Amino acid sequence: MNEIEIRFTLNHKDITAKTQGNRLLVDFLREDLGLTSVKKGCAEGECGACTVICNGDTVTSCTMLAGQVQGKSVLTLEGLSLGGELDILQETYMEAGAVQCGYCTPGMILSSKALLMKNPSPSEDEIRRALSGNLCRCTGYTKIIKAVQMAAECLSEKISEKLPEKEEAAS
Amino acid sequence: MNSPVMERSDQRSDAPAKSRSEGQGRGYSVVGKDCIKKDALDKVLGKAMFSADYSMDGMLYGGVFRSTIPHGTIKSLDLNGALEMDGVAAVLTSKDIPGKNRFGIIIKDEPSLVDDKIRRIGDPIALVAAESEEIAERALAAIKVEYEVIEPVLTIEEALHEDSPKVHGTTNVHISKKLIHGDADEAFKACDVIVENTYNTPSLTHMFIEPDAGISFFENGILTILASTQNAHYDRNEVSDLLGIPRSKVRVKQAVTGGAFGGKLDISVQCHLALLTWHTRRPVKMVRSRKESTLVSSKRHPMTIHARTGATSEGKLLAMEVFMTADTGAYASYGPAVATRAMVHCSGPYVIPNVKVEALFVYSNNPMCGAFRGFGVPQVSICHEGQMNALARELGMDPIEIRRINAHRVGSQIITGQILKESVGFLDTIDEALEGAGQVMKSGRAV
Repeated sequence: MNEIEIRFTLNHKDITAKTQGNRLLVDFLREDLGLTSVKKGCAEGECGACTVICNGDTVTSCTMLAGQVQGKSVLTLEGLSLGGELDILQETYMEAGAVQCGYCTPGMILSSKALLMKNPSPSEDEIRRALSGNLCRCTGYTKIIKAVQMAAECLSEKISEKLPEKEEAAS
Repeated sequence: MNSPVMERSDQRSDAPAKSRSEGQGRGYSVVGKDCIKKDALDKVLGKAMFSADYSMDGMLYGGVFRSTIPHGTIKSLDLNGALEMDGVAAVLTSKDIPGKNRFGIIIKDEPSLVDDKIRRIGDPIALVAAESEEIAERALAAIKVEYEVIEPVLTIEEALHEDSPKVHGTTNVHISKKLIHGDADEAFKACDVIVENTYNTPSLTHMFIEPDAGISFFENGILTILASTQNAHYDRNEVSDLLGIPRSKVRVKQAVTGGAFGGKLDISVQCHLALLTWHTRRPVKMVRSRKESTLVSSKRHPMTIHARTGATSEGKLLAMEVFMTADTGAYASYGPAVATRAMVHCSGPYVIPNVKVEALFVYSNNPMCGAFRGFGVPQVSICHEGQMNALARELGMDPIEIRRINAHRVGSQIITGQILKESVGFLDTIDEALEGAGQVMKSGRAV
């Protein structure tokens, strides 16, 4: 199999890496680049443990070839807290008790992140729909949904803090 | 404010952050408080190391060649294709086991590698270790086997038929046990109403989200295995027996484990890893695919439960008779413990003074059944709750009322003879469930 060169943005950094043309994105990220937060739970796009964000959308990295991220921007869980500060979702997942065995957690947080990037105040149904591709066998989902709601609440508080005059005008 | 009930409702409020601070100052450091799990930070950062996340210098990748038939012997096994392949470090069969080739948590009936015969689809026949996952896969594909097929035993009825092939030894009966409490035969005569039904429950797989995996290596002369397991101490004993070396020369560490639910109590990759590292003296990693994990991990026991339950016209339970049969599959695993739990719990949280229970578990050539959340209790719950509903219908009673009349309370005697002296939460649970159900109905959700 031919070796290919991939140029893309990984966790906010432009990189160039070589890999085999038939390499799956999940193996490329885990094995070649050492990003082991990306989990391989089923290798057929069913469980969502390998979810990463590609150009703002969630994708299952086990059903994509590495070459498909050429020129794109990929975010894994490692890229969420660059600079040492936790993302609000990482905080609320801990706070709500949404983490048990932790194997689905990276994919689950990234699906939550992709949702909040597009829709900062989702309804419960919108959250459930956004997470429907990520299976969890421990929590029963309730606390995961709670964590996303808490994060959304914090985000809206932050926005209103930044815009005091708008809030006053509304009241 | 200090009552436990209030505290529970605090936690259900819409603001867990607030209830956390309200939970302080009750004299407990953890109980009654929302605590952040110690491992949560590593897990939300993606830093938690699961078995498959480890890599070592000079590491080999292990794979297992498995049977494609449920019952039979090996007529011929040709390993040459794998042995001659570049990048293959070892190809092993049962002949390469230096110690004992039988393991199992209660009964040692499962081989690490098939020696006498194949008992299920997926039984391990040979191991390979190679320089890459890809070579390991190619080596497995290059192994050729010819089987002598034995008629498989696939149902409980077939297992019990006297002419059926035997999965182990001279009988397919794995467990036959009785539990007698009072005199059920006599008590049935006094019943105003008797309901009789048969319940079938299916086999289920745990589908833990992390497929079984592990890595083995020598550390200071000690064979060390890091694995996704619920049972590190037991694994260590099995590996030490397998290799015929002292316990002190084996160490098993539990890596962060991605779900289990009982499904990681049995040996998965541990013995195979140990053999490969023992023979190659190199680190070896094995990661099961979802398919392989699902094929050979333990399952929930499928059961057929026949029950007769009798009560007075007022709904007071007097007698119950249960006959349960279960298919434990190819190996015992936790079957004996599942049988005991299912029997002890088969009358449910109800006072029944006269109970007769019989359990019959059989071996078959189906997937092995073992520990799975509740150890047989979920299966019998289907039965005892079905019987309560049937009695309520028969008597024209409210199904909740008949449960209240017969509910275990402090001071009740259960069918093992034990008196429940401490708290019994069943009646409170009924009340809270009814209240919760009422709220759900009102809000219109999940109806």
